[in-house]
Amino acid sequence: MIAEEKLKILTDGAKYDVSCSSSGSRRKNANGMGSGYAPGCCHSFTPDGRCVSLLKILLSNDCLYSCRYCVNRKEADVPRATATPDEICALTLDFYKRNYIEGLFLSSAVHVSPNHTMEQLYLTVKKLRTEYGFHGYVHVKGIPRADEELVRMTAQYADRMSYNIELPTEKSLKLLAPQKSKESLLLPMQKLSRETALFKAEKRKGYFLPAGQTTQLIVGASPEPDGQILRLTQSLYRATGLKRVYYSAYVPVVHDPLLPETAGGELREHRLYQADWLLRFYGFDAEEIAPEGENLSLEFDPKCAWALRNPQLFPIEINRAPLEALLRVPGIGARSAYKIMQARRYAKLDFDHLAKMRVVLKRARHFITCGGKYFGARPAAVRALLAGGEANKNAEQLSLFGSDALSALTGEL
Amino acid sequence: MIYFYDGTKEAFFTAFLLAFRDKDALLTSGQKQLLLGQECYFVNTDRERAEKAERRFAALDKGCLHDLNLMLRSGDHGRDMTAFRYFKLIAEQKRPVRDMFSEPAVIAAEECIRRVLHETEHFRGFLRFLECESGALYAAFSPDNDICDMLVPHFKARLGKLPFLIHDVSRKKAAVYDGEHMFLAPLERAEIAVSSNETEWQKLWKRYYESVNIPSRERLKQMRGYMPVRYWKFMPEFMRSSPQASLEALSDEPSRPR
Repeated sequence: MIAEEKLKILTDGAKYDVSCSSSGSRRKNANGMGSGYAPGCCHSFTPDGRCVSLLKILLSNDCLYSCRYCVNRKEADVPRATATPDEICALTLDFYKRNYIEGLFLSSAVHVSPNHTMEQLYLTVKKLRTEYGFHGYVHVKGIPRADEELVRMTAQYADRMSYNIELPTEKSLKLLAPQKSKESLLLPMQKLSRETALFKAEKRKGYFLPAGQTTQLIVGASPEPDGQILRLTQSLYRATGLKRVYYSAYVPVVHDPLLPETAGGELREHRLYQADWLLRFYGFDAEEIAPEGENLSLEFDPKCAWALRNPQLFPIEINRAPLEALLRVPGIGARSAYKIMQARRYAKLDFDHLAKMRVVLKRARHFITCGGKYFGARPAAVRALLAGGEANKNAEQLSLFGSDALSALTGEL
Repeated sequence: MIYFYDGTKEAFFTAFLLAFRDKDALLTSGQKQLLLGQECYFVNTDRERAEKAERRFAALDKGCLHDLNLMLRSGDHGRDMTAFRYFKLIAEQKRPVRDMFSEPAVIAAEECIRRVLHETEHFRGFLRFLECESGALYAAFSPDNDICDMLVPHFKARLGKLPFLIHDVSRKKAAVYDGEHMFLAPLERAEIAVSSNETEWQKLWKRYYESVNIPSRERLKQMRGYMPVRYWKFMPEFMRSSPQASLEALSDEPSRPR
């Protein structure tokens, strides 16, 4: 059994990776323990509001590299530990059996050399699959500059692999993570996606990264604007076939003159995720969501901001608009759009129907008509009504007995 | 008229046939405070008529029996009327009504079903097993809806031949999988001998749970939104005492009227 202190050290080092999903794999249990659950499964939630789905752990936190934002960088004065493959395997199996976790998220600091680290990761997953008979979800981090063949062999046992790009441009990488380069991250990703395509095309038996690849970008540690980040994201989805791009608002865990001292990019992170969903599920292009050199609006969500920039497209008629148009109405999501599409086959929908169907109308009512009737505000007033976040902070419910209200009632000035 | 029935599918269809033409019909399988002068009727299941009705409904809408199964599992007080109104609409329309999302009866039925399925989905993640001395697994929980047997296929697929038991402590019943077959059994209190290193694993899990949190990003509201507080008492990461002691405390859960 792994020592408690070691578990703590290795988890502390892994927890800043935001990738948490366990979806996309249908791996079957073959006379052992565990199976994939394609929708994904959250097993607990920590007080920071994040889900615990996988056992997130490092094989080692003893690192050669000195990425400036990282807790485990070479110069950092933190306790170091390295786990053995057997410790990791036993821990995974016993946690899994008790339904604490959905699988393993195995990462590592670059220990000894990139090849040595990748080899250790490979040996651990191989052991977990073959000796321990574990068929649950396994996510393995790729180590930049490791041998291609080692990576390919690891991928045969993993459900998902990921290389973290972390910083959106080569320039920022050079500055903050000098031992990494764009090529050392993007090339293995492309190689793996070609391998996956080949595996599918040849209809080979077994599994090869059934849940695909993901990556992570740190937001707020370097000066790149959202527009640029979203263009990168879009190209990763379309050209490299990534399943997810995660964004992590920079948390200052180390002090460095090159890094900002404060966190606080959480709303920005949220907006990036909203924009990410628009790219993947709502048929938007990055160009529509944010101009190249600009950030997303913090005041409006990205869909709302887009709708306000394109008033000529609205309002749309709820009883006739095609699905693509419904999906572009602020406040209407995939589920509401589906309900509207189905319900209007049987009855002409009015505003009351929508309210009863639990379509969220707070934003939507300014952009739709029901049977030709418009229930929104005057177009000129919409922007002010919808502004959330910063703008509404000063708003306050008037008290009947407050000093201002009293003078208004009595007419006394 | 109030129609009392026992909450089974057959009794529901018998009651449905009796109440169908009654404008003020009120179906219930729970307890109900009677109003002065209100008439009530205790439905005796008529198997033959119920089966006939069932076949008729299956012909009109293949999926409606599945919907009924889910609705009757619901812990909502209004579930019987929700199901009654939904089936009345099917009978009137003579076709599947599932997609008529602007109909109040369909909206209510869809909500009711969604809540049952949603909770099942929740417990695929939030259910916690502990290992018994024999190697079998035991999980206690107290769901809002009657779902303990719905969780079995999921865990059967992943635990292989390992026998396990899922105990609904408030309904006092359990879904048991013995390595080959699944069955439901009434179970008041479980006497469990916990395996020797269970405490150690729970301790490790608690340690892991504490370490994986990022304290500078506290968002308790979000946490409670995703994981309702009423589920916490069965999860080791929130338990203070040893597995055996907390197990005994949980068996004294107040029972839920069915």
